This record gives sequence, structure tokens and C-alpha cells, in this order.
Amino acid sequence: MSSWAGTFAVVSKDVRSEWRTRYAVNSLLMFVVTAVSIILFALRSADPASDLLAGMLWVVIFFTAMSGMSRVFVSEEERGTTLTLQLVATPTVVYFGKLLFNSVLILFLSLIISLMFQLLFQEFSIKSYAVYVISLMLGSLGFSAASTIIAAIIAKTRSRGTLYAVLLFPLLIIPLMAGMSSTIKALEGSPFGEALPDFQVLAAYLMVMVAGSSLLFDYVWKE
Amino acid sequence: MEDFLSVNQMYIVLLIVLLIWGGIILYLVRLEKRIKEIENSMKKG
Amino acid sequence: MKVVKYSSIVLVTFVIIAGIAIPTVREPQGLFEFPMIPGLGQKSRNIFFHVPVAWTTVVAFLVSMFYGYRYVRTKNMDYDIKSVSSAGLGFLFCFLATVTGAVWAKFNWGDYWNWDPRETSIFILLLIYGAYFALRSALENEEARARLSAVYSMVAGLTVPFFIFVMPRMMAGLHPGAAGDVEGKGPVLELKMSSNMLFVFLVALLGFNLLYVWMLDLRVRAGKIEYQRIKQQTS
Repeated sequence: MSSWAGTFAVVSKDVRSEWRTRYAVNSLLMFVVTAVSIILFALRSADPASDLLAGMLWVVIFFTAMSGMSRVFVSEEERGTTLTLQLVATPTVVYFGKLLFNSVLILFLSLIISLMFQLLFQEFSIKSYAVYVISLMLGSLGFSAASTIIAAIIAKTRSRGTLYAVLLFPLLIIPLMAGMSSTIKALEGSPFGEALPDFQVLAAYLMVMVAGSSLLFDYVWKE
Repeated sequence: MEDFLSVNQMYIVLLIVLLIWGGIILYLVRLEKRIKEIENSMKKG
Repeated sequence: MKVVKYSSIVLVTFVIIAGIAIPTVREPQGLFEFPMIPGLGQKSRNIFFHVPVAWTTVVAFLVSMFYGYRYVRTKNMDYDIKSVSSAGLGFLFCFLATVTGAVWAKFNWGDYWNWDPRETSIFILLLIYGAYFALRSALENEEARARLSAVYSMVAGLTVPFFIFVMPRMMAGLHPGAAGDVEGKGPVLELKMSSNMLFVFLVALLGFNLLYVWMLDLRVRAGKIEYQRIKQQTS
């Protein structure tokens, strides 16, 4: 089985098992709704400015990543299928398959979050669409890259949930700050050039994390 | 007394820092001695 | 190692005395007078302690990463002992850097903490160290513990260049060297220090790093003893 076919097989297995129960998607969508509702409630009397809303958008994406991205490896542990996966596919195939799944998941969720913000907050009007889309995509993919490798690291530990958040949080600060900064610029209608430094940081972070993770994943996966 | 203290502030700070530093060195040197003792006893035994 | 030990003691003692006792004057003449750096006055003395300590914490982290890498390649427990010992020292120096920075911030900018980009990045480094030790304490199997904490230190290490070099320079902030700082890249890189100040500063840089090397040696030796004791007890 070629690497691409293998990667695609890992992704489609996860998608199919997800589709059967729809557990993760449902609970994550509920989480998104809850988080946005809390923010709506907290800001009901204040008139939130666009930079505050940009921050809130990324906070919701951040916490969604913190709660949803560890499933790719933890569910394998819980179902006892890790060993099977280790036997059937090479580490690289497993890594990129899980990364792809997480990336699609978080892109989908951040799109939903973004739509909710546009509907519910008047001040959240996107003036530079190109900047906004790139900012959302690069930021979410950066989140996915960091989340996937950390999920792999904590999958076999005992206090997985708390450990996942503790290990992941410092790493996500970079894409969080760059994402927030470029989203604020998108809401204000700044030209592409102004957001370029943020995009450079996001792109560099994404490349570094994916490259590093794919090299190090072998050591996490095999004992 | 207060005059003396206010004029020579820097030197009082220096004294305090040197005292703390001296304590740290003492601790590290004693630690090194104990480690050496254990290492030697492990080599012999 | 004896050389490292004695020279580190001598050098740091020298830095403490020279850094604190030499007076700062407007027109320095000769070896025993420091210039007044604009906006800082007597507070500039902190530069001999805060910057070298911050530098040492990064060195300790890189060393920890390096030994983590050596461990995953060779599976030799000695490397894991070195890696965790360096991480512990890095955490100590990071804490000291944060505290000396916060005290300096209080005197210079009015608050102990401002979420300035560089303050934030040293805080993040503290969190990374904390996460490293949290991970280690959650893994009982010594092989898994050594392997996974090594991988984490390397993954986290990938983000450190962003924190140290990219973030603080790109974003506006209070710390010297932030975007829009009128003084340029800060008193170290812009060489605002006179040659005798620079000398004390470089000695401090060397002295604190040598101190770290000596302390690392002590910790590694103690760690090896502990490891052998555990092996003896369980065999």
C-alpha cells in the first residue's frame, strides 16, 4: 500500500467511525454553541469592539482545539486499537492521516464558529475577506499541527485530559497571537501587506511544527 | 545613622548579595563533597 | 570540572562586586566608573544579572533538548538523566530571570507584570518547563518517561525560537528591542555600554554559564547515583 493510499485509509477509517456515532462532531458542535453562548451572555450589555470580538473568536477556536483534537489518539487507546494500527501502517502514514483528520475537523469547526460570530455580533463584519480567510486557515492548521503531536504524546499517560491542555497551551500561544492579530486587521479592513508579517509567522510555525512532528512521531509511536 | 545608611546604600546591597551568594557557594561545595563521598564508597563496594 | 567550579565562583563574585559597587556617573573616566544609560540610572546594574540568567535558561533548555535527542537515538538512560537535570536547572534560571525582570519592570515601568511580549515569552518558557515536569510525573514506565519527555522537549523547543527572536521584535512592547523602540535593539545589541561595562557584562555571561555547567555536573552525578541505587534495589 503506497503512503498516500495508507494515509487516506487512516483518514477514511476515522471519518467512517466518526460518522457512525457522530460522537465527536456532536459534542464539539455543542461545545462551540455553549462557548459562543457564554460569550454572548458575558458581553450582552457591553458593545464589543471588533478587536475584542476577534480575540473571542480565537479563544473559542482555542478551547475547541483543546477539547476536541486529542480524540484522534486517545480514542485508539480507549478502544484498544493502537496495536492494530501500529502493525498495519507505518508511523508516517499514521501521523499524516491523523493530522489530516484533525485539520479537516478544526477547519470545519472554525468555519462554524466564524459564521456564528458573523450572525450574532454586529461589530464582527469582515472587511478584508482574503486576509480573514487566510488568517483563519493558517491559524487553525497551526493549532491542528501542534494538537496532533501532543495528543500522540499523552495518549498513553494516566491523566490525559489535564496533561493534554497543560502541554498544549504554551505551544498554541504563537499561532493564537498571530491569528488574533491578523483577524483584527481583517475586521478593520487593512490591506494584505499589513497582515503579511502575521502570515509569515503562521506559515513558518505551521511548517516547523509539521516537519518537526513528522520526524519525531516515530519515537512517540514505536517503543 | 540614617545618613550613613542612605549614602552607602549600594554597599549595603552589595553586602547582602555577597552574603546570599556566599551561602549558595557553601551549599554547592558541601553538596559536591557529599556526592564525592558516596561515589567513592560506591566504587569501593 | 575543577576549573569550571573555581572559575565560576571567582567570576560571579567579581561580577557581583563590580556590578554593584562601581558607581555610575555622567562622564565616566577610567576603569572604575560606569556611564549613565538614559532612562535607567542605578537600575542599569540589573543588566549584569537579568540578561545572563535569561541567556543561561535558554542554554539549559537547548542542552536538555540535545540530550533528549541523544536519548531517543541511543536509549541510554545516562542521557535522560542529563536531559532532566538540565531542564531542572533551566527552570530555576527561568524563574530567576522572570523575577529579576519583574522587579526591574516594577522600578522602570510601574508594574511587576505588563504582558509585554518578552515578559509573556519568558512566562511561556516557564509553562513549557512546568509542562515537561508534569508529563514526566504522569509516566511511571521509565522508558516511556524518558522517551516521551524527550520528544516533548524537542517539540516545545521548536517553538522557542519564535518566542525568543520573532515575537518580541515584531510586536510593540516595553522591553528594549521591541518593535518601535526608539533606542533600537536594546542596550546590549546597540552597544550602549562602555567598554568596562561590556567587560563586566561578558564576564557575567561567562560566569553564570560556567555556574550552570558546574551545577549540571553535580545534578547529573547525583542523578546517576540515585539511578544506580534504584537499580540495585529492584534487581
